[in-house]
Amino acid sequence: MKVINIDNQPWLSLPRTLKITTDGIRYRLFRASVTVAVITVAVAFLMNILAESLIKRAVASDTRERIQKAQLNSIWASKLTSPGSPESIIVETATTEKGSDLYKETQIFAKFDDKAMEEFQALAKDINYIFNFFENLDYAKRRDLIHTSEGVDILRYLSDPENYKTFYIGLSRYKSIHFGMEKEEFDALLAKLPELDATINTILEARREANAKINAILRRDYPNANNDAERLAMALPDADKEFGDSIRSVGFVFDKETVAPELARQAQRLQYTTRMKNSIKDRPVRQLIAQEANILPADVNDVLMWNFLNDKDFAEKYLVKMADSGQDIEGLSADLLVDLAKGRKEAEALERAERLTMDAGRGFMGLGERLAWLLFVSLLVCGIGITNAMMMSVTERFTEIATLKCLGALDGFIMIMFVLESCFMGVVGGTIGAIIGALIGLGRMLSAFGVNFISAIPFLDILGGMLVSVILGTLLAAIAAVLPSWKAARLAPMEAMRVE
Amino acid sequence: MAENIATEQGQGPDKNGDEKRIIIRTVGLKKTYMMKDVLTQALRGVDVAIDQGEFISVMGPSGSGKSTFFNMIGALDSPTVGRVFIDEVDVAQLTAEELAYLRCHKIGYIFQSYNLIKYMTALENVTTPMAFGGVLPDEARERGMEILDLVGLKDRWHHRPIEMSGGQQQRVAIARSLANNPSVLLCDEPTANLDVNTGQEIIDILVRLNTEKGVTIICATHDHRMMNICDRLMWIRDGQIDRIANREDVHIELASIDGE
Ligand SMILES: Nc1ncnc2c1ncn2[C@@H]1O[C@H](COP(=O)(O)OP(=O)(O)OP(=O)(O)O)[C@@H](O)[C@H]1O
Ligand SMILES: [Mg+2]
Repeated sequence: MKVINIDNQPWLSLPRTLKITTDGIRYRLFRASVTVAVITVAVAFLMNILAESLIKRAVASDTRERIQKAQLNSIWASKLTSPGSPESIIVETATTEKGSDLYKETQIFAKFDDKAMEEFQALAKDINYIFNFFENLDYAKRRDLIHTSEGVDILRYLSDPENYKTFYIGLSRYKSIHFGMEKEEFDALLAKLPELDATINTILEARREANAKINAILRRDYPNANNDAERLAMALPDADKEFGDSIRSVGFVFDKETVAPELARQAQRLQYTTRMKNSIKDRPVRQLIAQEANILPADVNDVLMWNFLNDKDFAEKYLVKMADSGQDIEGLSADLLVDLAKGRKEAEALERAERLTMDAGRGFMGLGERLAWLLFVSLLVCGIGITNAMMMSVTERFTEIATLKCLGALDGFIMIMFVLESCFMGVVGGTIGAIIGALIGLGRMLSAFGVNFISAIPFLDILGGMLVSVILGTLLAAIAAVLPSWKAARLAPMEAMRVE
Repeated sequence: MAENIATEQGQGPDKNGDEKRIIIRTVGLKKTYMMKDVLTQALRGVDVAIDQGEFISVMGPSGSGKSTFFNMIGALDSPTVGRVFIDEVDVAQLTAEELAYLRCHKIGYIFQSYNLIKYMTALENVTTPMAFGGVLPDEARERGMEILDLVGLKDRWHHRPIEMSGGQQQRVAIARSLANNPSVLLCDEPTANLDVNTGQEIIDILVRLNTEKGVTIICATHDHRMMNICDRLMWIRDGQIDRIANREDVHIELASIDGE
């Protein structure tokens, strides 16, 4: 009979494993909290960059939308007075959605049926692609490929066989440039150039005609105004009434329900704003502001005026002064002035936001090149930080691993112990870090863009980002802990004890 | 050939009157440590056979390779050259699970440097090998307290290693080695840090385990009392066996030396 019969070692129960693991963490609480702190900082850094990137991206698109909406006035003012350029027509047609007002309008002006219009938009898209392609090239390469030509002239330039050849030779030389259009495609595009010119001329001619008709109507209705611009400024607030009908009658597609009221409102406000800006020309009015600001009347400017008009009491006093000095205050009220002042503030915030989010839209996930690069670096820092912290805390425990193995621990138990511990640390550190990072990012972005962008903040995206950061932090922590502990667990116990 | 060596040297008395059975046998055991390009030959070919139920003392100057030898025969480290048979099973052939089982159930270790788990109380240190062996928590606690009582640490069961003296830690290490009623007990200087009385108590415990339960005890020591109760003595010098002798023979020698 054998004295020592050898069997397989059973697995340790999960509660017991948990108990040993938590006892270990509790005993090394200080050491563990340092490791958790490193994970926290690393994840917070990553999350901060991520949150700021996401917010910036969202604010950028929100800003663009708002600016576009706020610019109805200037868009229509220029549309009603100028036929535009071939380039602007191509870009407009390429970027507008099929079936939009602009799309319909262009179709009417070009006298196209549905199919021809579709073809024209496809052509415009291709040309717009070429515009963008050359836009993004640096100056030297651009000059090499198309000399100094711009806009539609690029196509005209390339239609010349000599230039065409130089262009393709140049392309094959610059390996880093990807033209993205097949040679046949491009040839077909160049072949359509005469057709394009004809279409654009038709559109330009039709628009010129419409502009002339509008001008005639304006001259008829506002005979007292000094110039065309003044006449238009006076007419646009009526865009939701008769003048809107006139706009439609000459061929523009001008939606009565949505666009017209908004355009009228903006035009009206612009009128009021101009009137207010002129109001400080009168000395008594200027004096009121000077008193309030404690400066000389000569130093008063409209920025100061708008600042003070934010206050309703002051706005009331201001209106009285305006009336006293004989200015027209019809339609103006204290509430309106406060509202106008607020509107100006918002416009400023919009401008600032546009400046701050200049680079958004390009690069990885549309985060902008700079932010995408920052995100990559923070990922690296996060990874290295966590790996280092975890590896250190595991390496100093090789003796413990060895001892446990001497007592009959299975390699699997040691692995589970370290997986549990590192996941726990990763989740705790990651969650705290993600929250801190997101809050800091939120705070920084809010202070940069102002509170009126709060509706643009992509909370769901940020939450998703937090989840990703926590998972990433935990995963990194687990991998960084498990690899060395696996190495130690596989060794004979005394060999593991010798590892430094 | 190896069998021959084993039988030649296996001269210990057999307490149970049964046929002698070799429980640990090494063949040409060598261990070389490699530290920063410096080779240390800790063992240079050890062939030894240890009988079941034997109490054998291992002696030798510091650095002679005693601890290294213990690690090899306890299946805690792999030899550079040579083989270790535990109950005629080649340790090198065992799977990881079987090795864990062997370490957990069949061999008890008392390490020279105790190697207690720092974050566990005395009781937890003792019950951990039981848990690995599949003993239920309640039963483990009960048995753990019994063993701690045996080594005189019953009222210190909730202390962590750093809250205990060296001697107390050593006793926890001894208690832990007894956790799963091992068949073989490897003791690396178990009484080094104990006073005369506690040392004697530990020796008594070892003797009792040996005589009553037939546990094979292999004990590295410089303690003269140990020499008085062991069956055989083994000297290691420079990683080789210097000499193996029965206790009676040694006593005659000592007596004659004293007589001179
Ligand atoms: N991890 C190691 N790395 C390198 N050399 C080692 C290692 N462990 C032990 N040695 C060497 O192996 C030899 C034997 O060491 P061992 O610990 O077996 O001696 P020992 O007989 O137990 O001594 P002591 O009585 O002091 O405990 C010594 O020369 C020592 O320097
Ligand atoms: Mg030693």
